[in-house]
Amino acid sequence: MKSFARLTIPYIIWITVLIVIPMLMIVLYAFTKDGTLLSFSFTLDNFLRFFQDAIFPSVLWRSLVIAVVTTIICLLIGYPVAYGIAKMKNHQQATIILLITFPMWINMLVRTYAWRGILSASGLSADMKVYIGMVYNFLPFMILQIHGSLSKMDNSLIQAAYDLGANKLETFKRVVLPLSIPGVLSGITLVFLPAVSSFFIPKLLGGGDFVLIGNLIENYFITTNDWNFGSAISLIMAIVVLVSMYLTKRADKNVGESEDA
Amino acid sequence: MKKLISFKNVVKEFNGNVVLKGINLDIYENEFVTLLGPSGCGKTTLLRILGGFLDATSGSVLFDGTDISKVPAYKRPINTVFQKYALFPHLNVYDNIAFGLKIKKEPKDIIEQKVMRMLSLVNLEGFEKRNVTLLSGGQQQRVAIARALVNEPEVLLLDEPLGALDLKLRKEMQRELKRIQQEVGITFIFVTHDQEEALTMSDKIVVMKEGEIQQIGTPTDVYNEPVNTYVATFVGESNIIEGTMLADRQVRFDDKNYECVDTGFKQNEPVDIVIRPEDIDIVPLRQGILNGTVKSVLFKGVHYEVMVETVSGTSKTVKMHVNANHDTTNPDAGEKISANDFFIDLEDLTDDLTDADLITRASAQAWDENDELLSISKVSHTFENKPGSYAVTFETAKGTAISVKAIVIEPDNLEDEKTNTGIAAYDFTVTIDDIKDSVALDTDLKMWANATAWSLEDDSPIDIVEVDYDFDDETIAEGSYSITFRTKGRVFKIHTTDKVEEDARVALKFAPEDIHVMRKEVG
Repeated sequence: MKSFARLTIPYIIWITVLIVIPMLMIVLYAFTKDGTLLSFSFTLDNFLRFFQDAIFPSVLWRSLVIAVVTTIICLLIGYPVAYGIAKMKNHQQATIILLITFPMWINMLVRTYAWRGILSASGLSADMKVYIGMVYNFLPFMILQIHGSLSKMDNSLIQAAYDLGANKLETFKRVVLPLSIPGVLSGITLVFLPAVSSFFIPKLLGGGDFVLIGNLIENYFITTNDWNFGSAISLIMAIVVLVSMYLTKRADKNVGESEDA
Repeated sequence: MKKLISFKNVVKEFNGNVVLKGINLDIYENEFVTLLGPSGCGKTTLLRILGGFLDATSGSVLFDGTDISKVPAYKRPINTVFQKYALFPHLNVYDNIAFGLKIKKEPKDIIEQKVMRMLSLVNLEGFEKRNVTLLSGGQQQRVAIARALVNEPEVLLLDEPLGALDLKLRKEMQRELKRIQQEVGITFIFVTHDQEEALTMSDKIVVMKEGEIQQIGTPTDVYNEPVNTYVATFVGESNIIEGTMLADRQVRFDDKNYECVDTGFKQNEPVDIVIRPEDIDIVPLRQGILNGTVKSVLFKGVHYEVMVETVSGTSKTVKMHVNANHDTTNPDAGEKISANDFFIDLEDLTDDLTDADLITRASAQAWDENDELLSISKVSHTFENKPGSYAVTFETAKGTAISVKAIVIEPDNLEDEKTNTGIAAYDFTVTIDDIKDSVALDTDLKMWANATAWSLEDDSPIDIVEVDYDFDDETIAEGSYSITFRTKGRVFKIHTTDKVEEDARVALKFAPEDIHVMRKEVG
């Protein structure tokens, strides 16, 4: 076992260089101003600036709303689809899953461009276009996660529920649904995280003035070249994401422990 | 007792595969019924039809006189203990057991009372908050039983529930299940392939085979009066002998007449006879009714399992010619090759005769300089379709070759009408090293002599169980040796608590009532 553990060393180096160090730099940038890596002074100005100007919190709020609504739509569409697929015969399931993953073989950016073409003459509002783009892009993650937990469910559990007097609806409510919660939660995580931070979908589909938190960050890093403020926004968003992930984890535990309806 | 369940001519097909071939079976109140049979006999299918998880292709299932074929599983007054228990992993012990009561929307305090009573019935008091996935197999089993029984079903179905438990726990659960069944006083239908389990717990055993019921009876009926060889071999151990019924209370097998207690057969009707191993006594010579030789003695704990041969098998003796080693060396390739002259039956000279057969018969082998075995890549021969002596040449890829004589002879089969056995074996030649290097000498001798035996009735192969010779394979020298190949004769399995010596001559004794005569199975 020990010698296998050594196989992770290249990966640890990799994430240290490419993830941990840049993260630390973001933290550093967020709490400093001006200067370079050699001469800098600590400050909380970047955060004050974010919360003093009403526009920034409102963008954050808008991003969260769009991500939450996207996640809910994906869940509402994804669960029935995943459930339907899990009820099919094995080879049919494989085919449908293949069809669902098929579009992912094409770059997400390219697909979003395609949607821009499709939706340009539709006359839909910018919000609608962004929702369509988001749901389209992230729905497969929801379906695959839920399908994963449904398809590996032991069929004898469902039979046991029937045997104990539960009809189809009750069996779903008391057995199938609770047992699929882990899949639902990981589906939610996998949709919510990219949705909250996505910047090219709103940019391509929402038009130039459709700004979400991802666009803000992109803007401050690339256009304005204000890395300190960009880092502060990134950090704020990271905290929001961490809190929401923690809440999801808690929800998972609660479902595991308490039952009763 | 009141009749509770009736299967009426139930047939089940899966994709044209008939799994149940018209089952008729009545089950009464308060019975512990066991469906016994090997896997694939349809016992689980029958149970699932009763549970409502499968529909019968035709026929009907009556419950209390009404057809329940159309009643869905969740409306039947029947609960099931599943093979792998199927406990709900997201619920604790209490909630698993309370599942059915909550569905019925019973008041909370009633639910609690009932669950607690069940927990004490299955001896799991204090386990209500436990996580079911962390329980042992036996405990999960108990939860599954409690979860089913708490609904107060009229019938409890148990689908091989003890299969996953170890032996000691299984015995404990057998007693436990029987106790629970007697305490709650409802019908248990238990599916198993374990005959001992069936005998221990059941009021009634239903022996099944390939979708058909073979016998229905109490454990003692099924054990003492099996209706055919299938039931006799499946339930308990047995000696099965083919014989003829001469008249009422008189049966003949192995050329001798015996008194028995069975009647109602036609005169000279061919029958199967079963004698249980524990019903035969080993006594000194001249005090029994059959003489025989002790072939093996196995210690089984409570008793010895002794095999006694009363009629010896069919045998054939051949000569083995042992030559000095005579490798041919090919110094150019650094290889050595050896092979022996051999005899071969004219009938074997067909197109089916492969190079590999000839290599085996001649015991042809080649080595490189490191003594690693090489493959023989080419075999050439000059066989004609008549007796005589022909050359056979074996060659390696590098051209190291050896030629030997193959002597083709007329078939020389020995046919024994009494035991209905044919046997053939041929003289053969080997080298000293062949014998010394042999890992499994008996098997090699059979191969070199091409010893085979078959049934004269249907040509099916019969095992050669004995190879007799009187040389020591460690110190063998050149010369000729006799080797005898023998099939199994009439061997009785006997369970006794007295130890006997192997190879001793003994007599066997059994009473007329120990002989149980059965009709031949049709088909």
